[in-house]
Amino acid sequence: MRSAWIGPLFALSLFLAPAADAAGGARLRVVATTTDLQSLVEAVGGERVAASAIVPPGRDPEEYQPRPQDLSRLKDAALVVRVGVDYDLWLDRLLAQAGEPALERGGARYVDASFAIALLDVRGSAVGPGHPHGSGNPHYWLDPSNAEIITGTLLEALARIDAAGARYYERRRIAFLEQLAERERTWSRTLASLQGVPLIAYHNNWAYFARRFRLNFAGYIEAKPGVPPGPAHLAGLLAAMRSQGIRVIVRQPYEPERDTRFLAERSGARVVTLAASVGSVAQAGNYLSLLDHNVSALANGYAGPP
Amino acid sequence: MNDALALLWLPFAASIVLVGIHAYFGLRVIARGVIFVDLALAQIAALGATVAFMLGHAAQSQATLAWSLGFTLLAALLLASTRGLSARIPQEALIGVIYVVAAAASFLLVDKAPQGTEHIKQILTGNILTVGPGELLAIAPLYAAIGFLHWLTRARSAAGTSGRSGWAWDFFFFATFGVVVTSSVALAGVLLVFSFLIIPAAIGVLYADRPFVQLVIGWIAGAAASLAGLAASYAWDLPTGATMVCAFGVALACASVLRPLRSIAKLRAAASALRAILALCLAASGMWLALAPRADQPLLDSIESFAPALRASYLSDIERATYDEADVYSDRHRRQIERLNAMESASRWQGRELDDFEVRRISSFLQSYGEMRKGEEFVKREVRARARERTRWWLCATLVLLALLTYPEAVLRARRVLLPRAPR
Repeated sequence: MRSAWIGPLFALSLFLAPAADAAGGARLRVVATTTDLQSLVEAVGGERVAASAIVPPGRDPEEYQPRPQDLSRLKDAALVVRVGVDYDLWLDRLLAQAGEPALERGGARYVDASFAIALLDVRGSAVGPGHPHGSGNPHYWLDPSNAEIITGTLLEALARIDAAGARYYERRRIAFLEQLAERERTWSRTLASLQGVPLIAYHNNWAYFARRFRLNFAGYIEAKPGVPPGPAHLAGLLAAMRSQGIRVIVRQPYEPERDTRFLAERSGARVVTLAASVGSVAQAGNYLSLLDHNVSALANGYAGPP
Repeated sequence: MNDALALLWLPFAASIVLVGIHAYFGLRVIARGVIFVDLALAQIAALGATVAFMLGHAAQSQATLAWSLGFTLLAALLLASTRGLSARIPQEALIGVIYVVAAAASFLLVDKAPQGTEHIKQILTGNILTVGPGELLAIAPLYAAIGFLHWLTRARSAAGTSGRSGWAWDFFFFATFGVVVTSSVALAGVLLVFSFLIIPAAIGVLYADRPFVQLVIGWIAGAAASLAGLAASYAWDLPTGATMVCAFGVALACASVLRPLRSIAKLRAAASALRAILALCLAASGMWLALAPRADQPLLDSIESFAPALRASYLSDIERATYDEADVYSDRHRRQIERLNAMESASRWQGRELDDFEVRRISSFLQSYGEMRKGEEFVKREVRARARERTRWWLCATLVLLALLTYPEAVLRARRVLLPRAPR
């Protein structure tokens, strides 16, 4: 019964957030590196925080080049929240320049959202193909169960710097998690028929998403990040697509279109555009709609005649 | 093999079409001394496409094409009109300025748009491997038409280079070249198009004097280099564009080395120079080994990677046993890492689901194996470094001796310099 009215109220509070900001209340200024973390901060912080993301939506956060204004935004931030796992390495240089000890690694106003996450694709050293991150695959927010851990970390940090709002943050987090659990049941139902069905992605963004929804990513177009695929690799992929009957290729909006289109034309597979981050596609305006979009886009990719 | 053919025939056909028109323009570009004009024109076209992108046109739409064409024509106008300045400033300098300003301007423009940088990247980094038949069918007639136009006007466009008509011919040249480059860069990328443009033409100029013969030689060389590059890219699974650029570079190097083949005396001189270079490398690495046995030894390291037996020759029995054991363990750890990774990825979708605790355990094992493997690799490096330190004088003497055997003339020359013959 409760979740029935919390959902719209939550959406309304997100909608009203900028208006309240203009009124000039004493909100906590939280700077996140990515839009995904910004959305989760908003989910917990509600009207007591004004969250922003350094990387604009639709950009590759790993390739981001900080600009002068980022420094001034960081300097008077109450809290800085990062993805970690070598994903937003450029933040370290910015923080060093900002010169605020409390904002730096280990400081009271510094939050690494990867805290307590069970990381996937950990490589002891750079061996084998796949992600370059020796410390693990950084796209952990794409598993909705990890949102529970991330919002827990955020709640702890927000309550520490704003003790008066601790109850408020806790209530909001619980409401958010209830809403998430309800949606997760729908998502699992929608994707149940795709369990184990092989598909291909351009880049290995989807390890956590795959683990949660039991998806079988059988190959990646980009064997080494930033390097275009070689012909033998593409031929191998094509052969695998034929033998395993792979019907869907997943790409992100900022990943090259040519190579995915090439494979799709040769194999008859469909290209499905998924968003790894909030704001990469118009429909993914916040954390919940990001996963909503990915789940329904993937399900639609398999719908209809092959 | 069939897979290779199915995948590579279209890129090869595209290379032939691109070499066909670019070798011709390359000859003209070399003759005019405006080597980097293609980069400037491509960047200007990208700027035009960026403007279209900012105005909300789709990447492959007519409007985008019109915008980039318009910008290219403007650049051609600019290049043709700045010829007057070239008495004081080399035209190459202006071309450089056009390139950097266009590049910077498009970055400023897309800074405001999501996916903007990706957009510019996609304009300037085509991938010849994934060229579609439609793209090829679109450019082939265009290039044929431009080639035909140039053939019709060959007498005048080459000769009339002064006054107002000279200006018009310059504009004609830069405008048609701009159209070609704009489409080819989107297909094959900046680096490969530059190779298509300059290298076959350069090889042609090396071997012939008459323009038509130069062109034919350039075509043959370009086709051969493309074929070699594509084959190498398939055989070693390397990114196709970059491999082809390197193949073109090797082709130019071979062509320059083989050029003296045309006379026996020059051939002898070339062979002797080659031997001298080889001897110098051998002697230098010998001395470098004696000086810094723990540093990187490029020559020794690369020979050892091809023939590991060489390493065994300077390791003592104990050292060899330690080295081999570390190698075995390093390989075992690597296989453990692969096995655990495969197990974890498979568990994402089949069999029993691993919980977070198990995933963390696997990760900590992976990290331990990784560290252990690094340790074994360290042992291998250290054993080798110590053995090199111990035997450095022998190894150095062997390498210097090899150098002398490769180029014995050095001894005679040295004697002549050190002990001048006493006058009788």
